This record gives sequence, structure tokens and C-alpha cells, in this order.
Amino acid sequence: MTGSGRLLLAIAVLAVAVPVVAAGWAGAKVPVAGQVPTDARADAAALYNAGTDALSRGDTGRAVAFLLAAQRIDPRARDIRANLAIAQARAEDVQGTTERERVTPSPGIVLSPEEAWWIAALIALAGALVGGLAALRRAGRGLFVFGTAALAVGVLLWGSLLLRAREERRHPEAVVVVPVLEVGPAPDEQPRSPYLLGGGEEVRLGRTRGDLVEIRVSGNAIGWARRSGLWRVADAARYTPTESR
Amino acid sequence: MIGRTAVIAFAFAVSVGGVATPRASWCGVSPSGSLSIEATLQPDHVAPGEQATLTVQIRSAGLNLPDVGVPPLQNVTVQRAGTAQNFSMVQGRVERTSTTVYRLIPRTEGIVTIPPLRVSVGRDHAETAPLTLTVSRASASRGTAPRPLRGGANAPAGTPEVFVKATVDRSRVYWNQQIVLSLRLYSRVDIIGDVDWKAPSMTGFWTEGLGPPRQRRVTLNGVEYGMMEIPTALFPTRTGTLTIGPAQMRFRVARVIQPPDPWSMLAIPEVVPQDMALTSDPITITVDPLPARPPPGFQGAVGDFTLALHVDGPTARAGEPILARATIRGTGNVSTIRDPEIRAAGAARQYVAGSATRIDRSGDRLIGERETDVAFVADDPGVVVILPVRFAWFDPEGRRYRSQSSDSAKVQVLPGNLTESKAGRPSPGAPMPAAPRRAQGPSGRLTLDPPIGSTALVGFSVLAYAAAVATARARRRLHRDPRFVRMQSLDTLIARDLARANSLVAQKKPARAAVLAENALHAGAGYRFDVDVAGLPRVEMFGKLRAHGAQERQIAALESLLEALEGIAYAPPETRSADARQAIRAVSAEIGRYRRDLAR
Repeated sequence: MTGSGRLLLAIAVLAVAVPVVAAGWAGAKVPVAGQVPTDARADAAALYNAGTDALSRGDTGRAVAFLLAAQRIDPRARDIRANLAIAQARAEDVQGTTERERVTPSPGIVLSPEEAWWIAALIALAGALVGGLAALRRAGRGLFVFGTAALAVGVLLWGSLLLRAREERRHPEAVVVVPVLEVGPAPDEQPRSPYLLGGGEEVRLGRTRGDLVEIRVSGNAIGWARRSGLWRVADAARYTPTESR
Repeated sequence: MIGRTAVIAFAFAVSVGGVATPRASWCGVSPSGSLSIEATLQPDHVAPGEQATLTVQIRSAGLNLPDVGVPPLQNVTVQRAGTAQNFSMVQGRVERTSTTVYRLIPRTEGIVTIPPLRVSVGRDHAETAPLTLTVSRASASRGTAPRPLRGGANAPAGTPEVFVKATVDRSRVYWNQQIVLSLRLYSRVDIIGDVDWKAPSMTGFWTEGLGPPRQRRVTLNGVEYGMMEIPTALFPTRTGTLTIGPAQMRFRVARVIQPPDPWSMLAIPEVVPQDMALTSDPITITVDPLPARPPPGFQGAVGDFTLALHVDGPTARAGEPILARATIRGTGNVSTIRDPEIRAAGAARQYVAGSATRIDRSGDRLIGERETDVAFVADDPGVVVILPVRFAWFDPEGRRYRSQSSDSAKVQVLPGNLTESKAGRPSPGAPMPAAPRRAQGPSGRLTLDPPIGSTALVGFSVLAYAAAVATARARRRLHRDPRFVRMQSLDTLIARDLARANSLVAQKKPARAAVLAENALHAGAGYRFDVDVAGLPRVEMFGKLRAHGAQERQIAALESLLEALEGIAYAPPETRSADARQAIRAVSAEIGRYRRDLAR
């Protein structure tokens, strides 16, 4: 097989594999009893209002969870970003920590995950059309290179989003919703001093064991905590008043 | 010069723990001031086999309390003796403190450097400077030697100048009952330099030093001595007969030798140093087990204790921790007291907020207090009742078990409210939250998984691109094939030249049409057999065609067509149009045959 043949074969395999891998790698959606499907559409205003209400009640943990979820849907909304910053600042104020320096993202370039997926796909499509037509029409080499580069950018962007989705599936983002959450060793592990997480702290979750869930911070597992003290951001819509009813 | 030694004051200090012990310490604070670490080494001079205590205290503003360990040290046994944690929440600010005590027991002489201990929380870092532990027999357990008392030289004959005595305050005790061991060095001569002492073996005892060595004057049998006393509190951990081994003290005394002629004016007493080593007698202790049938909740405390329970306040907010502190204070081995159980009714959650032990070594006996903090959190308004805390211990003086229960404490839990709660109250000048929205939307997905449409679009894009590139490559490869190029040229002859010839026939120009067809046939034959025959005479052309594989049948057909075209070319146009049309059809068929031959 010639070099070009191998290239074409690789591209064809990639084209077939991408959707298959995307479906499987991001995780099969197994419905769980009593759980709202995470791909159901949620209303950003309902989440924002629930977060603002929690913020006014002083419930910093729930406020951060609701507002993070609202920001996923409507990341450029000024009111969501403002209230989220206030909630996070209050959480840090209570904890007395200065370890994180939050940078409020510029609303002009922030995209929701759904928008990012579509933009990556459209970049890939535009690149494929330009590159393909340039190849067929024997247009200038520059146009072909431009189209191929655009396709590559789109596919790479799409792949990076896929990695992020996979990380979210494996270690979902969560927020501590109780004032103080004790993170200690599992019952069968060697005893050690517990970590204390404050309300509003953002963590990632790992394995589960009964009522306990593994807590991960900065990619490292720091211990186990009760599941009831945490909300997954993707599940926040379940706790809004409209969903609760 | 008589009594020269008596003019020297009696003072010594031996470094065996306590506040007067030589020690090294370092406190490092992070730039923000919210994290600090302090390491204290006490003493910083020990003999091989002796014990130095490294105390590491970490203070962190916030919930994150980092841990720190002492790295392995060469020729030093490092034992973690214990950790005490403290948790405080004042005005919504959380501060945690941990104090970890390590025992360092060097095995050989030399200088041991403890590297900087570093802690970090987020971007805050704090570290200590290196600490140095000097291990030498000469420098360990040293202190200023006791100086003899005035009149020591006038002691009766037979009275010892220096001697060592080890005593205990009682020789029969209960398990875990406190015994005070006193090692005493009596001296009425001048001791030069420091006193080295080797602690006795105390297998079967938990030992706690009772501060620095103490010194005073005592009179024994009418003779006044300077006395150095090293008290140690012992707690037997086994029953039966236990032995406290002999303690050894090594020091150097100044012997004053009088001259032979006391009336000589030049006679000056000579001072000769003399090394001495004294050993105390071993002591036997009888340890009785505790009486049977201990009360419920008894966990081994022996001594004299009291229990106190303290709760933050009568009210708290829902969601805020309510701190309950149980303090056990008294005489005994406070370090080994197990924390009493603190429980509450009406609290949603509870967690151990910290514990701390404070020991007072300044008295004749070891006393101290142990604090246990438990935080309770109620999610909803109501009442949280801190249940009575019970503590039981054995009183060796009364020879019976005792127990004490605290009163219960009620805490009213008020609704959690940001505007009133300390934790959530916005500080003056802080930004106010934006108002709630009245309209719905936008809606979207909270999951980060790819939408099916975008997945399909990317797949289609990659496939379409691959197909286009593959097609273009195949087309380019075909165009590089000479056979294909010749076939395309034949197609062009039929489509362009012969079509034009037909058009000329229609315009009543058969001669020009015949010439055009003749040229096309020439070119077509050349393309068929891959030879350039343009402009060649007919005979030469046929020769070349034969040389490139043309068969006689094909040459004959070609010759026939050429002759027919030539005839038309030389004939008047009015009479030959039909023939020209027929000849052009024949040429087109021949060229078509050539193409089929090539395609085969």
C-alpha cells in the first residue's frame, strides 16, 4: 500500500471511529431510578434564581452549586457570573483560605459546552468542504492546506472537548453543600487526620462505596466523604423548586 | 587559703527537659500570615541513646490543615509520640492548629541536622530553618556543676563528700498510678564542669519528666550539702514486681591537696581534678492490678480528675457548628487518657473538631488537662441537647473507682439567615447579588457529553474530506497514465476535429472536411500505435506503424480510408458531399476502434 493509500485508510478509519468512540467513551447513558437524565434540558433562569435564593439565605454551598450549573448553560450572563463570584468569595471567606485566585472569564469568549461542541463541528465541516473542494477542483495548494488545517483544528477541538466530557463522566464536578464536610479515610484504611471541606468548595468525585464517595482535589484522591454532603453540578437541576415539585 | 573551695557559690543547672533546658526553635510564617509552622527541639544536646523532643506546631487560617512529617534521619530513631488538633471558629473565621510531638533518639555521637519542615496550603508556604541536634557524651545531660558549700571541709570524718541517691515516693502502687522518682546528687566539694548522667532503665513504666533539675541546700546528719534533684513521673504499664535500674552520674571534682608544711609562706594548696562516676541503687516497685468490676465507661485513667463540659453558647444558627468541649483535669497520666464520648440529640451531623493535651511539669507531681472538642451541626431550627458526658477513673488514694457526669446542655438552633449569621454576612462595601430573573431561559444541557448532531457533523466532515482527497488523488494518478492520455486525445479527435469536419460538409465544403478528417486519421493512428506520424509521407508512415505493431489489416484499412479522403479532397465540392459524410463516418468508426483497442 502506498503512502497516500495508508493516509486515506487512516482518515477513513478515523471518520468511522470518531462517532463510535464519542458515543462509547463519553459514557453510555444508563438510566438510574429516580434520577433525572443528565442530558435533559435545564433552564438557566431557574438555576440562577435557585442559586440567588440560596445566596440570600446564606447557604453558600447550594448557591455555588446552582450558579455553577447555571453558568454551564449561560456562561456569558453577567448576573450569573456576578452572583457566582459573590458566592465563591463568601465560601472562601468562611473557610479563610486564599489558595485560589479566581479569574472572572471575559464574557466575549466564553462558550457553553453545547456551543463549544457545535462550533468545533462547524469548524471541522468548513475545513472539510474547503479542503475537499480544493482537492477536487485542483485549486491552489494554499486553499487545500487552509481547509485541511481548519479540519484538523475542528477535530482537535472536538477531541479536547471529548476528553473533558470523559473526565466529567469519570470524575463529575461537585460542590460541598453542607457547612463542613469531613473527608477521612475509608473504614478499611489506616486512620489519619481528616480534611475538612467547607460549604461551596468545588471538588471532583471518584469511586463510591456505600454512602461514601471518593473526593478528588487537583487530580488526587484525598479521602472519602458522605455523599449526602455533596451535589453534582450536572444534577443541580434536580434540586430547583420546579424540579422538586 | 584554707577553705578555698568554700568561697565558690553552689549553683548548677542540668539540662534534662523543662523550660531551663537548652533548646532550638524556629517559626516560619507564610507571606500572607495565614499559615505558620514552628519547630522546637528540646534539648538540643543529648547523649547517644537519650531522647530529644521535637515539637512541631502548625497553624492554619481556614479549614485546610496540612500535615508534616519528619524525614528519616541517619542514626536517629524518630518516633511520632502524638498529635493534638485544635479547631476554632470565631466571627465566622476558622483556624486550625495541630501540634505533633516526635521523640528523637540518636544512636551515635555527631551532629544531626533536621532539614527544614515545609507545609503548604494552596499557594501559601511556610517552612522552618534547619535545626541541629548535638549528640555527644560530654554535652549530654549537662549542667553547671553544684558547688560545695561553705564549711564543707569541716565535715566530720567519714561523711561522704559526694554521693548519689535514687528514691521513689512510694514502692507499692496500682497499675498506671503515678510514682515520682527523684535522682539526687549530693555534693560538698567543688565539681568542675558539667554533670553527665545516664538515666536508669525503666522497663515497664511510662515516663514523663518533671521539668528541669532542681537544686537546694539540705542538711544530712549535721552536714550541709548542695543537692541537685532530677524528678521524673513514672506510670507502671504492667503489674507485678518492676525494677528501676541504677542511674549513673559522671562528673569531675576538684581535690584540694594541702602542702606538707602548713607554716610555709609559699605553701599554696594544690587543686587536682578527679573524675568520678557514681551509681544509684536499683529500686523495686510492686504494682498491683486495679480492682475488679470497673464502672461503665472506665478506660484506664488512674489518678485524681475532674470533668467539665463547655458549650459555645445557648443559641446557634442552623448549619453552623456548635462546639462542645469536655475538659478532664487532674493529677495522673493525662497523655494516655482516652477522650470521653460527647453526644447530642437533635444534631444532624457531628465531627471531632480537635483535641489537646496540656501538661504542667513544674510541680512535684504530673498534672495536666485533656480537652476534646466535638462540633455538632443542626440543619434545621430546633433544640440540640448535648447529652451528659461521663468520665470514670480509679482513685488510688481512695482505692476505689470514681465517675463524674456533666450536666446536659441545651442549645437553641435558630433559622440560618445570611443577613444575621456571622458566616454568611456580607462585609460592608461587598458587592450585592444581582436580582432574580423574571423570565425563563435560556435552556441547555448540564452534561458535557457531545450532542449527537455535532458528532454526526464531525464524522461526516472527516468522511467527506477523505472522499474528496481520495478522488482527487485517483484522478491525478489517471492523468499521469500515457495510455489514458492517448485515449483522451482520440476522444478529442472525434469530438472536436471530426465534428468540425461534419460541420464543413454541412457547409458544402467537402474538400476541407476531407483534409481535416485525413489529418485526424493521421493523428489517431499515431495515438493508437504511440508513434508520431504527423506530416510523414504515406509509405513512411505505414512503415513506422508496422514497426510499432500495426497489423497489415489495420494498415490496409487505414490506406483505404486515406485514399478515399484524398479522392474527396481533390474532387469538386458540389458532387462529393455525400461521399465526404460517409468517409468521415468511416474515419470516426476507425478512430473509435483505435480507442477501444487502447481501452482493452
